[in-house]
Amino acid sequence: MRVLLVEDSARLRKTVGLALRRSGYSVDTAADGEEGLWLANSHGYDAIVLDLLLPKRSGLDIVRELRRAGSTTHILILTALDAVEDRVAGLRAGADDYLPKPFALEELIARVEALCRRAYGSKQPVLRVSDLEIDTAARTVRRATEGVELTAREYQLLEYLMRRKGEVVSRAEIEEHIYDGHVDPMSNVVDSAVCVLRKKIAVDESSAPLIHTRRGLGYILGETDGR
Amino acid sequence: MKSIRRQLTRETLATLALLLGAGLFAIGLTVRTLLDRAFDAALLAQAHAVGALTELEAGRIQFDFSADFLRGFGGLRARHFFELWTDAGRVVTRSPALGAADLAKPRKVRVGEPTFYDLALPNRRRGRAVYLPLRLRETDGGAAAVKRQSLGIVLIMAADRGKLDETLSGLMAAVAGIGVLMIVAVLALVPRLLARGLSPLERLGADAATIDAHTLSFRFAQTGLPIELRPIAERLNELLARLEASFERERRFSADIAHELRTPLAELRSLLECALKWPESRDPSTDREALEIARELEILVGRMLALARGERGGLTLTKESIAMRPFAAECWRVHEAPAEARRLNTRFAVADGTIDADRTLFRSILSNLYENAVSYSPAGSSIDVWGEAADDGYRLHVANPAGDLSAEDIGRLFDRFWRKDASRSGGRHLGLGLSLASTFAEAMGWRLGAKLDAQERLVITLEIPVPVRRGRRA
Repeated sequence: MRVLLVEDSARLRKTVGLALRRSGYSVDTAADGEEGLWLANSHGYDAIVLDLLLPKRSGLDIVRELRRAGSTTHILILTALDAVEDRVAGLRAGADDYLPKPFALEELIARVEALCRRAYGSKQPVLRVSDLEIDTAARTVRRATEGVELTAREYQLLEYLMRRKGEVVSRAEIEEHIYDGHVDPMSNVVDSAVCVLRKKIAVDESSAPLIHTRRGLGYILGETDGR
Repeated sequence: MKSIRRQLTRETLATLALLLGAGLFAIGLTVRTLLDRAFDAALLAQAHAVGALTELEAGRIQFDFSADFLRGFGGLRARHFFELWTDAGRVVTRSPALGAADLAKPRKVRVGEPTFYDLALPNRRRGRAVYLPLRLRETDGGAAAVKRQSLGIVLIMAADRGKLDETLSGLMAAVAGIGVLMIVAVLALVPRLLARGLSPLERLGADAATIDAHTLSFRFAQTGLPIELRPIAERLNELLARLEASFERERRFSADIAHELRTPLAELRSLLECALKWPESRDPSTDREALEIARELEILVGRMLALARGERGGLTLTKESIAMRPFAAECWRVHEAPAEARRLNTRFAVADGTIDADRTLFRSILSNLYENAVSYSPAGSSIDVWGEAADDGYRLHVANPAGDLSAEDIGRLFDRFWRKDASRSGGRHLGLGLSLASTFAEAMGWRLGAKLDAQERLVITLEIPVPVRRGRRA
């Protein structure tokens, strides 16, 4: 899942960014409103964490601009303004959630998780395909009865593919949602990650292949390759 | 609970009842006296008439009573009676209706004048009588009366006073009836009139009872209010306005504090939560950042407390002589290094002059003005500081390029926590410096103002309306 964090406090950018990354999210950060709006328009984020009092352009402006442009990305406003009228203004402008400062990191991460789940139309934290099951709340993966150990990036990739089970997911989409802006688009990082993930979820010889390649198109996760 | 309305009603009713009773009693007594006097006058006139018809002839008492005259004193239904006595106490004659009975004499007789008194008539009715001593003089019966000898007699003339008593009783009953009616009317009207008269006071009280901390914007309506209550309403409105402004200031201050503390608290909390949740992410920079945030919070709290003390009027001023030129230069020293780092050119033209002021507050004012100029002047630009002594005090100016400040921004420059950029500035600027300077200036009776000059520079002027002991210009 890829998240955009727009926050002018360098310290909060650093700590919230770290917490989200450690929780398995790819995070892009912006220090002012203009950069934040540009990033939001340039990439398909699963969620945006947005401060309101920003240099150059306010958070409310960004929300209104994104909604005017037809963006459906879920937005969580994270701000020091906690009056009822501020919350109402933020939610009416088009934000999906509102969290006043100071906040508990766990709560912020849980709210971002909930927004990401809603991004894929699911309310259930547990996703299943055949005998493969992931718990998005506990961030655990099981195949049949056996637990599967994945790195944070591998977990993100698997969760993304499972949320889009039965759909062909292109390499570009995977890069967009799993990797942050520092990944070289010409690298084969996605293919390598998919290859490693296939091996890890094939816990024994009887495990049916679940990640299928559509040559020239991308990957599809399911019991069959969908053809 | 004591009630003005109840007390007034009670006291007014008691007073009116007393006055009414006394008034009616006096009227009854006066009317009774007048009627008695009229009755007595008629009785006396009748006695004199009988006296006039009594003569002394040849030593014998003769009566010139006509039959018609005597008819009024005869019969069973006679209402008037008379009886004549000699000085020796012998009955000379009496009215026919008396038969053989005598009219009672008064217990005490007034010498030389008629004596009026009440008595029981022979027919057992109440009567009133006049005891009239007469002296009869003998005449020769000719045209010119010649006195020969005289005889003293006493005439008692009595009349039935039944009619008079009836009239008096009727009158008293009427007076009592009128009294009762008037008391009923008073009982019915006085409470209503008092309620009506006191209704503005009650409205004022009811309005006042609705005021609490959430309705301080309420003001008492003065139109239609009696002139006695207007000063109260005016004073209450003034107090409410002051209270509202004070509450609003406190509310804004609390909101400002809460708002300004949220971001550094969020920074500190997330920093520590990260360090606890992912210990491997903690490094020396984490601790340094936590300490920096704590220091920033300390500065913020210190400044807010100073501001609160200043606005509350809790500052103690210690005045001393301050020479303006060296003082302005001395306050600049701590800002020299930051100004040099930003390649700012500073020009000083502060006139000599000595004033009396609190050195600590004055230093804080100047330091905040300098800090503002150094922080917001574009790198490589100039800051001008000049001062002039005038007859009405001293004026000190600090000018620097205004950047993107607009005329609208100038009006908010001294607001607490106001920054051109509403976002945080990494904790470097709290938006309290100019507000503090303005509060400290007001505490000393000075005024801080700002404007944009023709060169689009921000010029902040400190007006010091105190006597200046002048010197030579720097």
